[in-house]
Amino acid sequence: MSMTTAKPIVRSAPDMRKQKALLKGAFYVGGTLLVLIWLIPVVIAVFTAGKSMAELMSSPFMWTPPRQWTLENFRSAWTNAGMARYMMNSFIITIPSVLGTLAISSLGAYALAFYQFKLNRAILIVFVSGMLIPFQMLMIPVFRFSDAMGLMNTYRGVTLFHVAFQLGFCVYFLRNFMRTLPFSLIEATRMDGASEFTIYLRIIMPLAIPSIAALGVLQFTWIWNDLLWSIVLLNANRVMTITQGLANMQGQFITNYAIIAAGSILAALPPLVVFLFFQRFFISGLTVGAEKG
Amino acid sequence: MKTGTPKHTWNHQTLAPWFFLAIPLLMYMTWVIVPIIQSMFFSLTDRDSILFQRQFVGLGNFIRLATDPTFHLALQNNLFWMISFVLVPIPVGLAIAMFFNQDYPGARWFKTAFFIPMTLSYAVIGTIWAWIYQPDFGALNTLLRSVGLDTLARQWLGDRRYMTGALIVVGIWRQVPYVMILYVAGLKNVPSELIEASMIDWASWWQRFTNVVLPMLRPATVVAVTISIIDSLRAFDIIYVMTNTKARAAEVLASYMYSSAFTFQDYGYGSAIAVIQFLITLGFILIYVNNTLKSEEKL
Amino acid sequence: MKKVLTLILAVLVAASVFAGGGQQASGQQELIINSYMSDQAPKEAFEALVADFESKNPTIKVTVNTTAHEQFKTLLPNWLTSRQAPDVVTWFAGYRMQAFAQRGQLEPISRAFPGNTFQDSFPEAFVRASSFNNEIYFLPQSWYWWAVYYNTEVFDNLGLEIPKTWDDFLAVSEVMKQNGIAPIAIGARDTWTAGGWFDYLNSAINGMDFHVQLTSGQVPYTDPRVQKTFETFADLQTRGYIMPNATSYSWQEAATLLFNGQAGMYLMGQFIKDVAPAEVRDKIDFFHFPSFGLPGYAVDTPIDGFMVPANARNKDAAMKFMAYLATPEAQALFTVPLGRLAANKNVPPPNDDARRGLEMVLGAEGAMQFYDRDAPEEMAARGMDALLEAMQNPGRIPQILATLDQDRVRIHRD
Repeated sequence: MSMTTAKPIVRSAPDMRKQKALLKGAFYVGGTLLVLIWLIPVVIAVFTAGKSMAELMSSPFMWTPPRQWTLENFRSAWTNAGMARYMMNSFIITIPSVLGTLAISSLGAYALAFYQFKLNRAILIVFVSGMLIPFQMLMIPVFRFSDAMGLMNTYRGVTLFHVAFQLGFCVYFLRNFMRTLPFSLIEATRMDGASEFTIYLRIIMPLAIPSIAALGVLQFTWIWNDLLWSIVLLNANRVMTITQGLANMQGQFITNYAIIAAGSILAALPPLVVFLFFQRFFISGLTVGAEKG
Repeated sequence: MKTGTPKHTWNHQTLAPWFFLAIPLLMYMTWVIVPIIQSMFFSLTDRDSILFQRQFVGLGNFIRLATDPTFHLALQNNLFWMISFVLVPIPVGLAIAMFFNQDYPGARWFKTAFFIPMTLSYAVIGTIWAWIYQPDFGALNTLLRSVGLDTLARQWLGDRRYMTGALIVVGIWRQVPYVMILYVAGLKNVPSELIEASMIDWASWWQRFTNVVLPMLRPATVVAVTISIIDSLRAFDIIYVMTNTKARAAEVLASYMYSSAFTFQDYGYGSAIAVIQFLITLGFILIYVNNTLKSEEKL
Repeated sequence: MKKVLTLILAVLVAASVFAGGGQQASGQQELIINSYMSDQAPKEAFEALVADFESKNPTIKVTVNTTAHEQFKTLLPNWLTSRQAPDVVTWFAGYRMQAFAQRGQLEPISRAFPGNTFQDSFPEAFVRASSFNNEIYFLPQSWYWWAVYYNTEVFDNLGLEIPKTWDDFLAVSEVMKQNGIAPIAIGARDTWTAGGWFDYLNSAINGMDFHVQLTSGQVPYTDPRVQKTFETFADLQTRGYIMPNATSYSWQEAATLLFNGQAGMYLMGQFIKDVAPAEVRDKIDFFHFPSFGLPGYAVDTPIDGFMVPANARNKDAAMKFMAYLATPEAQALFTVPLGRLAANKNVPPPNDDARRGLEMVLGAEGAMQFYDRDAPEEMAARGMDALLEAMQNPGRIPQILATLDQDRVRIHRD
């Protein structure tokens, strides 16, 4: 065979249309199947959460949808297992963490994107490496530092940690975005006598809003889903997050799968909603570096 | 080339970046960089080094690691994780990305739905998958039995021979959507005529795919492979949630580090494991950084 | 819409900034207790106890933080070194407590017990298990025994007698197996359930002295006597006496099989009754682990209780709580509903079971605390995992033990 690419093939119009329709059908059928198969675990969780205890016991096969849907499990998880409190805590920690990360990382990103100075490259590498390290390395020192500073069991303590820890990724991400903005824009404003901070706040930040939104959505999911750092930094029930609550719940309701499934779904809901609403941002946030050619 | 900096603002600008960097750098130093250095220091001290006066043992912990069977197994398991995370999610993610990369109305929603596993926390994922693996009424074994493959039904998480494999499958389940999204982004740069499937001319399509499309996807592939490798080396949450790090058979570096330092209070030893893990990861981190910075210089 | 969102954000930010403190405002004192009692029955019994304490000490407000058992064990060492340590924590007597006392992380509780009140309240062995260097650091609350729990209905239906020797035990198991009942339940997803088997088999086969030497790290795990212990356990699996898929079940799930008669016997601590539904509680009885022909026998009798971290912030209230916990009334309040033995010797055993349990313990040649309390925790964790691996892979026992001994050398290095 020669190395020429696709030879033009002459075909009649109805033939082509038929093939197109077939392809389209195959896409929808195949896509639906693929998604269904991939989401089986999620579907099972929903089915389990919807079953009454009696039904769960009489037929423990998790494949089948409930004969009668019930919301009872969600109610028990919410009130008896204390999910309401844990959910509140998770919001109290996640939202300021996300806002803090965005604000602080944009400062660093701005500096690394627009100024030429000796340590620019080195600092960037420090931020990037920090984001990729095996984070378990930090556990003992961070625990001891937080303890010494009186930050244990406080929302502040976890929030500050999340902000600091996420800086690596966020600075890198925002800096890459800011590099794509025209440098001349800044020069022009600077000539007009604007201060450096004004340039950052009035010129760059408004332009960076799409990428900041992307980052925000991504950060929300990550911080919300964190379990490890909550375990390390929070041990009083009144401040525990929802992922911790879920882990505790498994000890308490060990054989009651329905309540645990309901709790899991509750815990998964906020990041899922955020993702569905802002999916465009979310995806562009995750694909840094994959698009450039 | 960058626009030259006007001379009269030079002084002003050497200070400015530090003004912007002050807070982020300070926070990063406090919570990330200094702790890493501390961990490296702890790795040279004996257990209880934090509780009592620090006892310097030099490379003692590393020498002990050399003959520790659990450490060897953890390394081996990590390698297994790494190979699986490259061999499975990359081609599968690419294939699914190609499949979903169509202009049909609603195609976006398939991608969205497929992506849901990435938004779930490991606490949730672990709970759900434990039910799938449950040997008596779990989904996997009931499926196998219903199609007559009873002999294949196993204790997926209970049997020490299959534990790591079962955990890797969960990891892959979550990684494939990630890789898919990376390729979906990469495919934006590839003209759609090049990938449009032809039902008749499969051979020439395949040839075009390997000779033209794959090279165009190189940046996406590099990111997907390095991210997958780094993720496989950091695997911890799944193991922690699904096995509570109690079985030697499931141990990887991260979980062994956690149990040594936290459960068994041997900070020095745990830190030594972390340092090894860091050194292994460092190579891939450098590839990643180098790659992204290089692609930027080309612009 | 935008305004509402901004408002919500502002409120949440403000809440997170100000909610951090949580100090008690008025003259009330707060006593913080971190507890591992996450199972329903002990949790409720403890709540009742705390309520009683609060009613007797109206100036003290108690906050109980419950953490799942496994996480608790991992986190306790960190809490103890923490500057914001809880005021009281639940824990185990003996070696595991003394390790903390040695590091200076515990507050002596003697001042809560003027004169000889402590020594007068508790048996001498308990005083010893609660002390380190002649100081008392531990308040023993309850203790219990490990034994073979069995479903009396299963035994009656099959006309079985309680086995006295290992051969009897195998014979009983065989009958159950023939009748489609799993002879031995074990929820080995919780690896510690294997610890009971290790303790009882090893001490019954090789004697108490050998068992003590082994758990204190003086004998290699490659010793043929240890191999015998491992092989005996693996043999139960080979014969098909251990419930199917045992390593996929938590200890509570496996207990359910015993309760509903799908399984016959379960080597477990007395706390198995905590999870038994009321209607089956009376059908579950226990007998002592069968004999391998040695003259004496050993029993697992862990002692549970409380300690005060050296960094506790409210030591006065903690001491009041300690003094209260030692009283016969307080001890009975917790142990009676759970059927455990009170550590205070002036509290009679709450029921027949407990009387028999007590007799069994008093007749023993030696008492063990439990594998993970007699040996360093890491060693015990490896040992229990190895026992389960041996069960799944009987052919590899020599290699498994060789690996285990490498752990012993590393862990017992100093």
